[in-house]
Amino acid sequence: MRGLTSWIILGLTLTFLIGPFLIIILAGASGGPSLAFPPDGLSLKWYAKVFTVESFRASFLLSMFLAVFGTLAALLLGIPAAYALNRYKLPGDETIRMIVAAPIIVPGIIVGLALLRYLVVPLDFTVTVALFLAHTALVLPYAVRVVSASLHNLRADIEEAAVLLGCSRLGAFMRVVLPNIRGGVLAAFILGFVTSFNQVPVSLFLSGPGVRTLPIDMLAYMEITYDPSVAALSALLAFLSLAIVFAAERLLGFSRYV
Amino acid sequence: MTKASAALALAGVLAVPAQADADTLTISVYAFAQDAYKQALYDPFEDLCGCEIVVETGNSIERMAKIEANAADPVIDMAVISSHDALSLARKGLIAPLDIARLSNHAKLYPAAQDPLGDHMAVGYTFYASSIVYRSDLVEIESWADLLGEDLAGNVSLPNIVGTQGPLTLMMLDKAMGGDKSDFAPVISRIGEHADDIVTFYSRSSELAQLMNQEEVIAAPVGRFAWSRFKSSPLPFAWADPAEGQAGGMNVMVVTKGNGNEDLAYRFMDYWLSTEAQTRIAEALIDSPANTEVVVSDDVAENLTYGADLINSLNILDPAVIIEHRDAWVEQWNTEVIR
Amino acid sequence: MFLNTREGLALALPAAVFSFLLFLVPVGILLSEAFRVDGGWSLGGYVEFFSKPLNQTVFFRTLKLGVLVTLTAAVIGYAAAICIVNLGPTTRGRVFGLVVLPLMISPVARTYAWIVILGRTGIVNDAIVGLGLSDTPIRLLFTETAVFLGLLQLFLPLMIISLVSAMENIPKDLIPAARVLGANWLQVFFRVILPLTREGLVIGGTLVFTGALTAYITPAILGGSKVLMLETLLYQRVNVSNDFVSASVIAMILIVMSFSANLLLRRIATARR
Repeated sequence: MRGLTSWIILGLTLTFLIGPFLIIILAGASGGPSLAFPPDGLSLKWYAKVFTVESFRASFLLSMFLAVFGTLAALLLGIPAAYALNRYKLPGDETIRMIVAAPIIVPGIIVGLALLRYLVVPLDFTVTVALFLAHTALVLPYAVRVVSASLHNLRADIEEAAVLLGCSRLGAFMRVVLPNIRGGVLAAFILGFVTSFNQVPVSLFLSGPGVRTLPIDMLAYMEITYDPSVAALSALLAFLSLAIVFAAERLLGFSRYV
Repeated sequence: MTKASAALALAGVLAVPAQADADTLTISVYAFAQDAYKQALYDPFEDLCGCEIVVETGNSIERMAKIEANAADPVIDMAVISSHDALSLARKGLIAPLDIARLSNHAKLYPAAQDPLGDHMAVGYTFYASSIVYRSDLVEIESWADLLGEDLAGNVSLPNIVGTQGPLTLMMLDKAMGGDKSDFAPVISRIGEHADDIVTFYSRSSELAQLMNQEEVIAAPVGRFAWSRFKSSPLPFAWADPAEGQAGGMNVMVVTKGNGNEDLAYRFMDYWLSTEAQTRIAEALIDSPANTEVVVSDDVAENLTYGADLINSLNILDPAVIIEHRDAWVEQWNTEVIR
Repeated sequence: MFLNTREGLALALPAAVFSFLLFLVPVGILLSEAFRVDGGWSLGGYVEFFSKPLNQTVFFRTLKLGVLVTLTAAVIGYAAAICIVNLGPTTRGRVFGLVVLPLMISPVARTYAWIVILGRTGIVNDAIVGLGLSDTPIRLLFTETAVFLGLLQLFLPLMIISLVSAMENIPKDLIPAARVLGANWLQVFFRVILPLTREGLVIGGTLVFTGALTAYITPAILGGSKVLMLETLLYQRVNVSNDFVSASVIAMILIVMSFSANLLLRRIATARR
């Protein structure tokens, strides 16, 4: 399967995968009043409109907040856990691994519903706190897995040497281990950020008046109007994700860790 | 390190402004025309009260379900929903009877809107006619029965059974089929036979407006409140005047029980019912007035459900009947229509 | 390897406790609710659920679309993966990047695009009418086809990625060697490639199948109220009727389906060894 056939297959597959994205970019640049492709003349007005929709601003900030702090919290919990699972002989380490990985296996819509029913309603958590906790739990498995992979590649005797040379355990971790797994941590952060930012099912039930994550807000907006601003916003968000990933790839060779 | 930082992160979450301070009114409304509402109602009221309005949108039944789910600690202070959903909430004891003395504009309402559910559980703030909106360049609609006719097969949308418009469509199809409003089961079976001809069952008028503007659908029953969305479209939409007449309904305001924000809720409702606000809303072609003092030009009236004569001519379905039969309808609908 | 167990647990437990309390406990309670009827334990919720024709339809539709999407993804995935593995290193990296790229884009955006493509005035219908295949535009939105395409586009990259990684482990000379020895392409695929990439197929298949099972946006936007799937049905049960028993039943079904898929695929993968 060489040459031409090969390129035809790849061409078709990539068209199928990437084509819709290109269409969204162009549909967002339509001059007409409703979503259309090919666009009714070109204009950036819908791209501009995105920034004037108040609810988008609020939900963008909420989603950013969740993606950044939820991922940071997941890393704060996940790095020590990954370290312990790699460097210590722990009783029940398989159980710990399974518990931490669980959020990946359970469908998001169920997680959202469960948190709504048993945290928000009875314990009086605000929706924002529940969202934060949910996004943290959701990102945690990625954090543990990616950081584990990168710890796995780092030989344990380096830090043992540091400890022998008089470094405290914490000192050895901070000065020897952390700098060496920096790339893995960043990769985990980006993966977590993208996962959290684009997350829909978990946030579906976790919304209240005035509190909505951006993807949920986009869905709600689409129910009100199909104007091309959602297309424009989608395109802008895609560029944002891509910019972050490319920057990371350039700086650190992100793809090695994923 | 972990604990301290986790605490910090949590503090960050909690620092996000809480929504429930005293000067915030949380309302739950229909999703359509929110931009227009903001201009005609929310913004002027916010200026007046120096408070902030937080809006939750959605169709009536979903918002009703949310109010029920949060009954122990109401999130919503005031809601506008369909009269039958309001009755349902009232029977479950989730909304508080209104103190009419706190609504200075109450006496100005049409009699039918003053106490539609009894015990002052709600007040009507708008009437609407329901008929069929259609593409006049492609089809002609003379009867509600045309919805299931040959011409529209594959191009028609019906409202979802659980929505506000669903039962009204059943009622009018029943009338067209010679029924006497007593039993809608044959109508649902009939819709079931034509299920493949129906593009989708819409659950929000805003969704339908999109489908029609996108040319996915060329005819569908809808409330008059959505008409401005069709009228402003470049496509030639018309409002049918079917042989069986138009259906009609009323949307009402309710206050959730024990929300602790009643003062602001009453002020807001009274403002919404005022001649000033109702006129502005009517002139923006959003909702038709329930306040008898509202006077609008013929042009505006043309687009609304305006005036006692028209309102009295509408086919109305008793909210109690809807509540009584809804479960059975949904059951039959799920079995025969969406299968 | 350090031996101080207490120190290790102190590091690992916060994450485990967090996940346990905020995740496993609420989800566990939710799932257990599916077995509770009127305060006692019972399978009544399931009996009730499956006695409704609509629920049966939705269950089988979800299963059918999940299987179809997974199978199609496997076929396209193998074709694409074989082509990618045969590329030179630089091109290969670039093409691989393009395959991964959609995963970084919001599923809302990716699904939204299909409205433009499949709508009555969309490009597919323009092409169909333009080519004279049909006089009038055909209905694509709100059909199973639309949901199928949306899901396939969403999850195909996961399959390709898994298969490419699996295929990278096949020794370079193995396939040419098999060819030289007279095997045709089909034989090469079934005797060499498939057995050696089983693991990748299992991972990819599980990811695609569970993804298709639990996607909410795609059926919601492209299927609407006529093409309900388990996920959209669950949403409706909760948001329209406050029916948490049905919701828990659906949740349990979803979890059981994804687990069984995983087990089944693993079984298939090891059976042919």
